Amino acid sequence: MILGLLLLVVALCVALAGWAGWFVARDRAVILNQLWGGAAIEVLLLVQGVVAIVQGAGGGGASDPLLFWGYFATTLVILPVAAAWAFAERTRWSSVVLLVASLTVAFLEWRMWQIWMGA
Amino acid sequence: MTDPTEPTGPAGPTGPSERTAARRTGRGFGRVLVTVYGILAFAALGRSSYELVVKFGEAPVAYTLSTLAAAVYVVATFALAIGTPAWRVTAWITVGIEAVGVVTIGALSLADPGVFGESTVWSGFGQGYGYVPLVLPFVGLWWLWRTSRSTSEERTA
Repeated sequence: MILGLLLLVVALCVALAGWAGWFVARDRAVILNQLWGGAAIEVLLLVQGVVAIVQGAGGGGASDPLLFWGYFATTLVILPVAAAWAFAERTRWSSVVLLVASLTVAFLEWRMWQIWMGA
Repeated sequence: MTDPTEPTGPAGPTGPSERTAARRTGRGFGRVLVTVYGILAFAALGRSSYELVVKFGEAPVAYTLSTLAAAVYVVATFALAIGTPAWRVTAWITVGIEAVGVVTIGALSLADPGVFGESTVWSGFGQGYGYVPLVLPFVGLWWLWRTSRSTSEERTA
């Protein structure tokens, strides 16, 4: 994993969570642009996956590959599922769903970093 | 995997009257509840799969418990998300099992930290998951109770 890329993903997750939180306060439902934000995070997650494969092939992979890729798969799935689930609800609660999902991805990124470093 | 749309389709006589008969558990605040349930189900499922594959022999009791907890979370998530009358019963049962499980296993693990050989999702009242496993079933029970109550309120309104 590359720390800079990870920090970018976490920053985007926090930004998306903040955007969603603002929508909760304004009593608004999730909008399409927020889902595009989530899609951008997904693309970066995929880049992280490719980087991890390359690093792993070079012998510098995760200390526990199974655990790492388990977390990676979970992280990858959360935003799309949460986005679909949130978008079907046209109330402020959909924004809470996006908020929770974004913060979860940020948290999982931190856990992936720990596992990568062998903590 | 259960198809979440399946039970709503051929529900027969309960189909059309469903909206008036029971408020869906997956709507409004329930949508957030299902999200948190889903995340916890994922976490528990990932954890137990890993434990079963890598180190089941080390602590069979703990890892069997983890697997059981994961299965219950998955079923509860789908039951709450679908929220038809039949699934509402399933939700009551699974969420109830969680409430009992987290309190029982939590208390046992505190009384004797080595009782299961290794920690589980429910050890220390779900400490390893920010106590979410302790809070969630009670919020779930409250939500099931609330949505069934407002059903009759809506009907009289």
